[in-house]
Amino acid sequence: MACFKPATTCFNMNELIPAITANNVVKHYGGNTSPVIALKNISLEIRDNEFFTLLGPSGCGKTTLLRLIAGFEQVTDGEIMLFDDEIANLEPNRRPVNTVFQHYALFPHMTVGQNVAFGLERLRKTRSEIESTVDEVLTLVKMKHLADRRPNQLSGGQQQRVALARALAPSPKVLLLDEPLSALDLKLRQAMREELKQLQKETGITFVFVTHDQEEALAMSDRIAVMSEGEVQQIGAPTDIYEHPVNRFVADFIGDTNFLDGEIVSIADDLVTCRIGSESLFEAENSGGHTIGDQVSLFLRPEKITLSPSNETSGTRPGKVTNLVYLGNQAAYTVNMGDGIEMTAQARPREDGNLPFAIDDPVAVGFSARALRVLAQ
Amino acid sequence: MSNWLPKSAAGRRWLGLAPSYVVIGIFMLVPMVIMGVFSFLEPNPYGGVKPVVSLDAYVKLFFEYDLEDNLVFNPGYINIIFRSFQLSIGATLLCLIFGFPVAYYITLQPENRRNFYIYLITIPFWTNLLIRTFAWIIILGRGGVIETPLLAAGIIEDSLRMMYTDGAIAIGLTYSYLPLMVLPIYASLEKLDFRLLEAASDLYASRLEVMTKVVIPLCKPGIIAGCILVFIPCLGAFIAPNLLGGGKKLMLGSLVQFQFASARNWPFGAALSMLLLSAVVIALVFYARAARKRAVLEGSA
Repeated sequence: MACFKPATTCFNMNELIPAITANNVVKHYGGNTSPVIALKNISLEIRDNEFFTLLGPSGCGKTTLLRLIAGFEQVTDGEIMLFDDEIANLEPNRRPVNTVFQHYALFPHMTVGQNVAFGLERLRKTRSEIESTVDEVLTLVKMKHLADRRPNQLSGGQQQRVALARALAPSPKVLLLDEPLSALDLKLRQAMREELKQLQKETGITFVFVTHDQEEALAMSDRIAVMSEGEVQQIGAPTDIYEHPVNRFVADFIGDTNFLDGEIVSIADDLVTCRIGSESLFEAENSGGHTIGDQVSLFLRPEKITLSPSNETSGTRPGKVTNLVYLGNQAAYTVNMGDGIEMTAQARPREDGNLPFAIDDPVAVGFSARALRVLAQ
Repeated sequence: MSNWLPKSAAGRRWLGLAPSYVVIGIFMLVPMVIMGVFSFLEPNPYGGVKPVVSLDAYVKLFFEYDLEDNLVFNPGYINIIFRSFQLSIGATLLCLIFGFPVAYYITLQPENRRNFYIYLITIPFWTNLLIRTFAWIIILGRGGVIETPLLAAGIIEDSLRMMYTDGAIAIGLTYSYLPLMVLPIYASLEKLDFRLLEAASDLYASRLEVMTKVVIPLCKPGIIAGCILVFIPCLGAFIAPNLLGGGKKLMLGSLVQFQFASARNWPFGAALSMLLLSAVVIALVFYARAARKRAVLEGSA
């Protein structure tokens, strides 16, 4: 029987057993002579009942990993565990996981109801069980009133919901979502984000969500795995990933970032001092493991920078606005700070709607040393 | 603008379409009308027709005159028609059984190789059907390619007598029209979104269920078109029945051919053709209905 109650009543699973475990998963495409390496060596654990996101640019291997979990591709090497079972060599129809496809892949010759019933019928559920489950999931995604429509009579957002209902109906142990929002327009995408998150909480099913949209990942996920070139770069909660990226790729991929390249000149207990450019010194948080003379990048999020009129000078550095991009709720300023250093900062428009600074205005650039972090170059 | 052109847009459009009207008129309408008219005339014993209106040809389809000149029911021709339908349906099913996997296999190939396979499928059309059917005599016949090795190996002791049977006709028909089954099925399979197959297997469908629940329903238009394209020429075929069936077990097509070429009963041949034509038209009407219903059901995406 399908179970769409809160997770605590649904699953008595030991919290410590991960829903999905990938151990040293390698995937090559093509022959042995010149294989295309899609996944180099992936090991990760996806916890039961979490909203887990695989995030990365296109070609990073995130979709490949999802397809390996679903069973559409075979691993070249390594193992994939679903709870306690090794599933890497099972046919897709023998894996208790379901997929929401990027382009929905609804069966055009079936009604919405028939689409949703498809998986249940294949599992040889009884007629009455199928009917009640179809009802239940269609209600869950607010599509019950359109059960007799055909997919091509639905809008993109509606098709999206049906695809979701179809994948949820057999109550999979893990739900895989392959960029399901990418074909929707912005407003709908934002609304669906919240709904997906809500749905995950309500059903208690582990969601594995693939996206290249970092905003989507930050908004929905319990944890995110940032991937690049077939490798996992970092796994962590959204705040970890955003505030404490482990390398330059992650810092650059998630959000806007200022990078300052330089060399460590001194190390105190909780601060390191770096020389940027020829003579500018910046203090940054000491994340440990640094030695004097290391070539590093300091990174600083634009929203951590305060721009103020140039007459307020305490604890700030002087700069000059060289460019600005108006974004409505804010403006992104490019500030030249001399010594070859440029930074992007943000400022809100004033209450009368005018922007606080114009191009060529001198500004005072303020930020805390705590906001600056050291990354290996 | 030249002043010999019609003034109105409608007139010019009509003029533009005129060549196709002429072609359809000359190559389709005129022969059919001649055929229809001939079927209501009396035969001339030396070939051709006498301009006397008569229903004899149609009567002859179902009745014959006995020795006392009474009209009695004659099932002979009806049986031939029945046999023709049986054999044609059999050949169509065989074409479907062999043609579908071929079309599916081609669809799964990389794009550049698909065209090559399609090209291979059409190669038999380059040779005369008569010659290709003769080849089957060599394969099936006494002392042929199949029998000789079996006889030599002692597996069989006597001829299998495969020639001049309904089976031989069905094989010949299947061979002749197989490409007409493969091509439309391939055309509809090629448009199939293969992600749907993944979706089906993700939703616990076995390989067989993926086929029966997703692939076959979605390429039904191609299957129906292929069946019609095979069934219709099978009904009218006379080369395979004559060569492989020995001309003794007649089919509708060979009967028509016999009436015109040997029996010199043109009106009866024409009546048989009209019967064949109506059977085909009825089959097509059913297909058109089914296609329209399908289009309505699925809307216009």
